[in-house]
Amino acid sequence: MKRHAWLSVGLSFLAMGAVAQQQKVGDPPEASNMKLMGWSDLQARSAYQPTIHRQGERWIAYVGHHGGTDDIPTPVNPMTGQAEPNGTSIVDVTDPTAPKYLRHIPGAPGKYEDGGAQMVRVCDGSALPKGDKSAVYMLRSFGGQAHEIWNVADPSKPVLVTRLDGLRDTHKSWWECDTGIAFLVGGAPEWRTKRMTQIYDLSDPARPVKIRDFGLPGQEPGATGAVPTDLHGPISTGPQGNRVYFGYGTNKGGFVQIVDREKLLKGAPEPTADNLRAPELGRLVMSAWNGAHTTFPMLQMPIAEFANDKEGKTRDIVMIVDEAILNECNEPRQMVWFADVSIENRPMMISSWTVPEASGNFCQRGGRFGAHSSNESMAPVFYKKMAFISWFNAGVRALDLRDPYHPKEVGYFIPAITDKTDKRCVKVDGKDRCKIAIQTNNVETDERGYVYIVDRANTGMHILELGGDARQVAGLK
Amino acid sequence: MLSRRTILQTSLAGSMVAGLAGLAAFANFYPKPDRDEELTGWRRIAWPFPRDAFPAGRAWKRDDTEVYIRPKLGFCGNCDTGVVEDSEVDRVTDIDLLDEQFVPLREGKRIQLTDLTGRARLYRIKKGGRERVAQGIAVAYKCDLVVAIVVGPVADDAILKNAHRFLETNTVQVWINALLEGR
Repeated sequence: MKRHAWLSVGLSFLAMGAVAQQQKVGDPPEASNMKLMGWSDLQARSAYQPTIHRQGERWIAYVGHHGGTDDIPTPVNPMTGQAEPNGTSIVDVTDPTAPKYLRHIPGAPGKYEDGGAQMVRVCDGSALPKGDKSAVYMLRSFGGQAHEIWNVADPSKPVLVTRLDGLRDTHKSWWECDTGIAFLVGGAPEWRTKRMTQIYDLSDPARPVKIRDFGLPGQEPGATGAVPTDLHGPISTGPQGNRVYFGYGTNKGGFVQIVDREKLLKGAPEPTADNLRAPELGRLVMSAWNGAHTTFPMLQMPIAEFANDKEGKTRDIVMIVDEAILNECNEPRQMVWFADVSIENRPMMISSWTVPEASGNFCQRGGRFGAHSSNESMAPVFYKKMAFISWFNAGVRALDLRDPYHPKEVGYFIPAITDKTDKRCVKVDGKDRCKIAIQTNNVETDERGYVYIVDRANTGMHILELGGDARQVAGLK
Repeated sequence: MLSRRTILQTSLAGSMVAGLAGLAAFANFYPKPDRDEELTGWRRIAWPFPRDAFPAGRAWKRDDTEVYIRPKLGFCGNCDTGVVEDSEVDRVTDIDLLDEQFVPLREGKRIQLTDLTGRARLYRIKKGGRERVAQGIAVAYKCDLVVAIVVGPVADDAILKNAHRFLETNTVQVWINALLEGR
């Protein structure tokens, strides 16, 4: 055989290898140290934020959805027989092996990011300072235009309590259940950015009290010149930690802004450049190629390597997760970064982690490959020990971050696709070339140690349990 | 020891190679004008901005007017409506790369370049120590943007229209389409 013929055969095998990595309906999930406990199809709706909440003896998952797709703009709810714009799925996960779909609350009409009700947070009325003690409140976005609060004390019969309307591009909000302070993400009228923060006192969810609008100098109404990049979302450590970590720039031009919470809440509310600058303590500017989707604080982490050092034994760490946006690796890699923010005006990146692309030929599998978000529960079972990162076509990845200077993977789970999993396309020579792949979008954990992952490509919610070494990292038996 | 003649010949050969390499680099940087460029008088110049989150674009100059254009893939704020607000033009065009303190002169207006629609807005900027006027343009193709800037005497409507016509020529559009269709 001539040399080029051998080369062709070799290339064919290589191509077959890449094709073999593409998922097919009926293929088993791919897993290491993570096991599937149960699954809900979420009515084949594209999913964003899951929040798991204990209500008495029950555990309820609230899952936010993106809008519908071009092919199915308003999926039919089999419980009502009606076509309903994607909104919020409410699922009883008390028995993780048999999740029970309770209710779908329709969201805003609109496709993809323009409709649905992506975000969801939940607080007990008994925890909120002025809430109805018998109520359980669910805060959700409604399309891009509003935030809503529902009473979900009976999760099968949610009741709308409040709506904050007239906004644009609402997104990943944060709600402190012990104070009621909410950092609502969206675009206020007149502001020059589509995403900034509106801070509300929602301690009585029926009577929202606006505290102030917040953003970066240059984003405020009336400013001129360059407009700083959009906010993606904040995470507050509450009055005890007195810090809010804001992540800007979803997939590019990112930075973390460290803010004094008390100064933010009590500072002059007029949105002038000086007033916006006043509560800021520090900024960590990232490469223009990466953004900050999630900025998850882990303060006062003991670092074993520094145990004998006179100073700096514990470090304030922020885990920064970028969001991959484009299909099939058409952008710089979006991944996970760890920053030491102990010295707040000199924060420093200390490590990073990515799924090795070659471990699954992920750039060829279809859809997005790269990080999107992390679990945000601060329950002791995993906090400061492990993090779970949703990685689109590489599923969810379990990281041991007890030494955040050297994070390492201890498990992963890539769900199987179903006949409902939606395609993802790229243009090749002007024509769509589509592939079907899992698109694990978000992840959350509960206090029992279960891991919940949801899929952007309509494959539903998978409930997982750790196994092997990963259980030991978390201290689970 | 090398003879004087050998040294001379070697030096000459080296100079020729270096010269040819320089010429090749120059030709690559400023490629030979194509038919549209010949007809319209626009000449390719180097992309003037430092590296950032998006791949570099292309730039052309004609008399005292320059145009800069590049796609920004996956950057559209609303894939259904495209660019419909002036604040988005402020945010997404590269006008801040010319002058971070740009000042919008008036409300923007709808614009169409070939089959792509969006908004365009005029700004006052300082470039090279002098005040100039520039137009920022942002048009959308599904979830992708194409952004352009026209800087120069763009208060003159004829000059502005000439720049728009050039942005619609094959010189620009074949390249843009290859990027939009090839992702």
